[in-house]
Amino acid sequence: MPEMTLDMRVNGRKVTRRADPGQRLLDFLRDELNLTGTKEGCGAGECGTCSVFVDGKLVKSCLMPAAKAQGADIQTVEGLARPGELDVLQKAFHKTGASQCGYCIPGMVMAATSLLREAPEASLDEIKERMGGNICRCTGYTKIIEAVALARDVVTGRASPAVLEPEGVGESYIGHNVRRLDAPSKVTGRLKYAGDMVMPGMLHMAVLRSPHAHAEIVSIDTSEAEAVEGVACVITSADVPGKDGFGVFVHDQPVMARGKVRHVGEAVAAVAAEDVATARRALAKIRVEYRELPGLFDPEDALRPGAPVIHDYAPDNVVKHIPIRKGDVDKGFAEADLILEDEFSTQQVEHAYLEPEAGLAYVDADDVVTVISPSQNITHHRHMLSEIIARPINKVRFIMSPVGGGFGGKEDMIYQGMLALAAMKTDRPVRLVFTREESIIASAKRHPSRVKYRMGLTKDGRITAIRFEMLSDGGAYGMSSEGVMRKAAILSCGPYEIENLQVDTTAVYTNNTPSGAFRTFGGMQAQFATESMMDIAAERLGLDPFEIRRRNMMRAGSLTHTQQRLTSASIDRVLEAAEQASRWEPGAPTMRGPMRGDLGGPGTRAPCTLGARFETPKDSKERVA
Amino acid sequence: MLTFDRYEMPATLPEALALWADAPEGARLVAGATDILPWAREGRAGDVDLPLGIDLSRVAELQGHERHGSRVRLGANTVWQDFLDDAQLARWLPVMPHCAVWFADDQIRQQATLAGNLVNASPAADGTPPVLALNGELELCRWAGDHILCRTMRVEDFVTGPGATRLAPGELVNSVTLDCADGYGASFQKVGQRRSLVISVACVAALVKLDETGTRFADVRLALGGVGPVPERLRDIEDRLKGEPVDTRLIEDAAAATAARVASRSRVDYRRRVVPGFVCAALEEAAERARVAQRKEALHA
Ligand SMILES: Cc1cc2nc3c(=O)[nH]c(=O)nc-3n(C[C@H](O)[C@H](O)[C@H](O)COP(=O)(O)OP(=O)(O)OC[C@H]3O[C@@H](n4cnc5c(N)ncnc54)[C@H](O)[C@@H]3O)c2cc1C
Repeated sequence: MPEMTLDMRVNGRKVTRRADPGQRLLDFLRDELNLTGTKEGCGAGECGTCSVFVDGKLVKSCLMPAAKAQGADIQTVEGLARPGELDVLQKAFHKTGASQCGYCIPGMVMAATSLLREAPEASLDEIKERMGGNICRCTGYTKIIEAVALARDVVTGRASPAVLEPEGVGESYIGHNVRRLDAPSKVTGRLKYAGDMVMPGMLHMAVLRSPHAHAEIVSIDTSEAEAVEGVACVITSADVPGKDGFGVFVHDQPVMARGKVRHVGEAVAAVAAEDVATARRALAKIRVEYRELPGLFDPEDALRPGAPVIHDYAPDNVVKHIPIRKGDVDKGFAEADLILEDEFSTQQVEHAYLEPEAGLAYVDADDVVTVISPSQNITHHRHMLSEIIARPINKVRFIMSPVGGGFGGKEDMIYQGMLALAAMKTDRPVRLVFTREESIIASAKRHPSRVKYRMGLTKDGRITAIRFEMLSDGGAYGMSSEGVMRKAAILSCGPYEIENLQVDTTAVYTNNTPSGAFRTFGGMQAQFATESMMDIAAERLGLDPFEIRRRNMMRAGSLTHTQQRLTSASIDRVLEAAEQASRWEPGAPTMRGPMRGDLGGPGTRAPCTLGARFETPKDSKERVA
Repeated sequence: MLTFDRYEMPATLPEALALWADAPEGARLVAGATDILPWAREGRAGDVDLPLGIDLSRVAELQGHERHGSRVRLGANTVWQDFLDDAQLARWLPVMPHCAVWFADDQIRQQATLAGNLVNASPAADGTPPVLALNGELELCRWAGDHILCRTMRVEDFVTGPGATRLAPGELVNSVTLDCADGYGASFQKVGQRRSLVISVACVAALVKLDETGTRFADVRLALGGVGPVPERLRDIEDRLKGEPVDTRLIEDAAAATAARVASRSRVDYRRRVVPGFVCAALEEAAERARVAQRKEALHA
């Protein structure tokens, strides 16, 4: 590696280091200077978690070789306010509750700082335009934009600094900006996520992943990789001392592929080395011989007789089938004036939390194997790991680091086992930080699903029967599929009281990326089908879409799909609020088309466009174009 | 992950060219690095170790811009944000701010160069259509042992296919020279998956100059990007409009013909629907801005 003396002023202090000039400024700040408020979310300029000022200009430090900052004045999020204090923007972010997981927040604060320096009078549209380089997955941006506008008003004297003070909450917290206890640590970049943590003597891990969807592993030769200078160990499934298997419901997934790979991106081996570059170089020297097997890529194919079997324990490729029966559907359909049939499909979706998976494991002085990671399920992970590494539960410890966004995607123990094994094998702390690409290829996704729907209705819009059949692609491993199928079944027919129903939800194994937990946990796929059916029914029967829902909605005393007696129900109030907020014009969907009067009113988003900065606001200097 | 065995930051053009002339196989020039760094990642080139990176950002001769008569010369280190921050550049090259505001984001524009965009030669590059519309030429220089040798080439000839150019070994782009379009109205239309940080599915650059009555096209420049292997100038449509009155029907008519220009490998139907609409909108908007510019000028006169 080349070396060069890099001189900069960083947050007002002179810094001189012998370092690799070709490394990214991001790595220089994080690794050499331990300024971990600057995050890495994508490494490709797409997310903005790494924004820093270089000579007063905000740049993405993942796209800048460190040598470009030679002699420059750098400001990172740590340099915005003195320790223990918050600047105006940070206070505004705190005030409006703009930080949730917090991982995008240092970058957001930096982007907002740049914005207020460049265009202190920015309109809301211009704020959105200038913040366009930073993405967030928790907030939906509303509170972030609110915070920036609030800070703008204070900075320009339109509002008194008092607006940044906490609000009194009075009788109820609801309807007030309640301050989040963890916001100061997030808006200042002080909070350490797993990938920000370091320990003396720490090794870095890189993971070899399968290029095949379904293949037998004939042999793995790690000898050349082990011989690379700087490599501390290489691990494979052969290093697992206990019972290899994890999963939220069935423990069908080995820590690393055992005997065969079941999806592209599955971990096959891992290297722990003195630095990430060495670990990645060593990966290229691991020789794996595969024998490809026929794969399954469509859930319908998985159910065909003679289909390839993905897990020996499940020769029918079924992960889970959840049936629900209530009443008599044949009778219900016989009573219907109208029978509707349709099919609905939804696609795979990635959570895209801004913090890629990361973890740090070590064996402490009392032989306790400890894993720090943003796991959304640490107690379960601890129990599973204790079996995998064959150690008593009191010798296994999980510490949950701040979760930089999870949305269900961090429930699966897809890397913590590898970290534990490497720490045990080397007796040194080992850290793994996924790249964004790795996070996308290896982590669970929302279940792609298909629903076959049959709904019977009377002329006046009462549902007499529903048959709901969902087939979901569970991917290569079980993960949360069972729970997702349960939830999808329970919620299947929506908040409507259906006397006669027949619901079946099934998840099957394929060689696609595993599906797992994702916000709504199966509810979204089911509601998409049910609510679409309600709209289609309203259209066919000439009824108002709100009205047809009211005629069928659950009330206190209703019996749910799983035959639980409700003591209360709120759908009536939800419908009323939605009707008012949308300024709904009553009537059947067929009656309106482009003539409807409730479109495009206040609160309706205008189509996306850029160029707000070209509009010269009153009493400000002329703009460029 | 991108690593370099050597990373050099020459301060002068002769130094840079000498390094480049002697560079080992696989060495790369680095400008803003906004194409090179994301290229060396999984799914694209993967981990890449380059023997040498020659960083151009401190080369004095590549900085700045000046006007020579009816042409504007931009040093190769001109970054996209310059078109938004520099009022003089914006006046000379009125299409560039509209293109720039749709280019990546405020931060990447501080790094990304116009020259890098042209050399990278992506079919979806936003920079190429406005440069074609402004009759862009590149000055290409190399080291000839003891002196610098330069040639010029039209950008239209320079970009030959996706990622392919006529840049010869040992050459670098010294400058980009464009028509000064002071007094033109301009427009840039772009669609992608979202607003910021998005590669064009289709884009159109337009420049319009009106005659002194403000009712006829005195000059029209039109170029299309994202819909074929290389961005292209729509000279036939320009010729059809020049001298004609600015008329919605005429514009619509001329624009309708552009659907046939879509030669991409994917999303052909979508692009065929978008492009005529974009051409229409771009011409209308550019004409309107030309009118505003004319009125402003009359006011000042
Ligand atoms: C998140 C993101 C969003 C983006 N959005 C857009 C967008 O909206 N529109 C768009 O068109 N592009 C976009 N890009 C692509 C990129 O930013 C542009 O192509 C940019 O202009 C490249 O310039 P650069 O200076 O960064 O080039 P570099 O990455 O430094 O170089 C690019 C290529 O040009 C060569 N090169 C650079 N300078 C010279 C020179 N003077 N002489 C000879 N060769 C040279 C390099 O060797 C390299 O091959 C985006 C990129 C990212 C990461």
